[in-house]
Amino acid sequence: MKQMVTITSTLLALLCAAGVWGAEHPGKSEIEKNGYKGPATCEECHPGTAKTFLDTVHWKHASKVDNVSNLDSKKEYGMKNRIYTMCNGNDIVNNLKEIPKNAEGKSKFTGCNTCHPGNHVSDVGSTGPEAQNAIDCLVCHSTDYDFRQRKPFKNAQGQVVMGQDRSTKAALAIAKPTVKNCMVCHEAAGGGVLVKRGFVFTKETDAHAAKGMVCVDCHKAKNHKIPTGFDPNNWANDGVRVACTDCHGDKPHKGLSAVYNNHTAKIACQTCHIPRTGGAVAKDFTVWEKGGDGFYEPTTLKQEANATVPVYAWYNKTVRNDQHFIGPNGSRKDGKSKIYPFKIFLGKAFYDQKTGKLLSMDFAPPMANGNTRAGVESAARTLGMKDPAAVAKNAVPGWQTIYFGSNHLVTKSKALNCVNCHGVNGVFNFRDLGYSDAEIKKLTNPELYFKQLIEKQKEEW
Amino acid sequence: MKKSVAVLLVVAFVALSVLSLSRVASAEEIKMVGVITKIDIAGKDAKTATATLKDNKTEKLVVITINDDLTLDKFKDHRIVEGDEIRCKYEVIDGKNVSKLFRKTAGC
Repeated sequence: MKQMVTITSTLLALLCAAGVWGAEHPGKSEIEKNGYKGPATCEECHPGTAKTFLDTVHWKHASKVDNVSNLDSKKEYGMKNRIYTMCNGNDIVNNLKEIPKNAEGKSKFTGCNTCHPGNHVSDVGSTGPEAQNAIDCLVCHSTDYDFRQRKPFKNAQGQVVMGQDRSTKAALAIAKPTVKNCMVCHEAAGGGVLVKRGFVFTKETDAHAAKGMVCVDCHKAKNHKIPTGFDPNNWANDGVRVACTDCHGDKPHKGLSAVYNNHTAKIACQTCHIPRTGGAVAKDFTVWEKGGDGFYEPTTLKQEANATVPVYAWYNKTVRNDQHFIGPNGSRKDGKSKIYPFKIFLGKAFYDQKTGKLLSMDFAPPMANGNTRAGVESAARTLGMKDPAAVAKNAVPGWQTIYFGSNHLVTKSKALNCVNCHGVNGVFNFRDLGYSDAEIKKLTNPELYFKQLIEKQKEEW
Repeated sequence: MKKSVAVLLVVAFVALSVLSLSRVASAEEIKMVGVITKIDIAGKDAKTATATLKDNKTEKLVVITINDDLTLDKFKDHRIVEGDEIRCKYEVIDGKNVSKLFRKTAGC
């Protein structure tokens, strides 16, 4: 047995020394010789991959969802069809198109599905050989992609096509996706840089980035199915999940900090290790503001990464989904919940006067002239609602509260310690978390942590 | 003698105060939103670049110096190009408008 371990270790060491891991992608000479022909080139070494990719959330922008209330378990949900107030549009009602001219006579292409890794002719959820050939493998896998190519344009048939960089130069730079590859789409989601997610993944803002890790080190894909966490607002998933404990285990603290391991059954890692959030805190889709370029955008109250503090709530990984609220289910007594940090976002949009349901919006009309009810009417028409003009005319503005999971901006050095939570003015609202006055008195008494922190203080100083 | 030393000390103190205050003033952060009219970057290995923005409010052209790797990378692979509207914060350092934040206003 020992001999086997030694041989395996030696082989691994040799492989590492030879640079097999992290080495340049094989097949370079073939690509140089034959040029890059899109997914067909990739398929020479990765047969069947394109077809498999069409069944992922990145292509379908939707999946079945089993942890969110008020959904049809047989249907798929995601940015393809969701109606909520961070985006208010979706791939269907706000399909990529050339919008009407604004007052200055200018038009532009816009739509929720601009980040879809196809060519728009083969769009969200499309299938078959044409769709397979339309996949933009390089936008995620090349480190030398020319983004001037990835622009929408109209082809000879008048179809709106999303361009791609299929140059040999880009193909010769294929690799495991870098942070940049992911952030090309994910940093600008929700209507601008750091609007939706509110985090930058840099060595200054995240402990994992500081160690040189990239997104896919945690979100490690298998057959292009990418593991995600349980953000209450991020519904579509590939059926695979990622959690801090996958790498760190459920007793990650050592030495004097080992006492924190007593908390891991009830306190999520993120609660102490992600003490800040960021990004948009409120948006108003009923009133759009004119920008310097003559186009309108939803009025948005933005905050920088690390600029806001989270709200803490019990979460059992199931989600309450109502017309005016999307957020965590959970309680201290259900035996499944832990306390998690959340960014709370409030969005204002139009609701159907008759049904009380949140309406969606086609962004083309308001973007051109600020007419938000015209956007509601266009979306209602696309969705086949009865009398779209009346729906839009009678629509009622209202607010929706959304809890966003706080899963990035991880810190070790600035993690919360005993006092941050158990101090009299600590970050937790113990009453809201379900504790009685007597329990709160006990939970905020230094007796709980005094000796522990004195020892730590001695160690540090 | 004592008096002239005291005067010298006072003068030195005032001069230092003025200098330090003017340094603070020059390091004040200025915010603007504008459209890129020109990008100058010297090749793939460039560690600095300049972008000329046309201020939406004043219509004046402002030349911004960019040194941060994230933005430079966006210039190099053309994620940020001429014509993009930018939200920018900068400080005047040694006569240059040095970018502290340089982001496209547009999203998805």
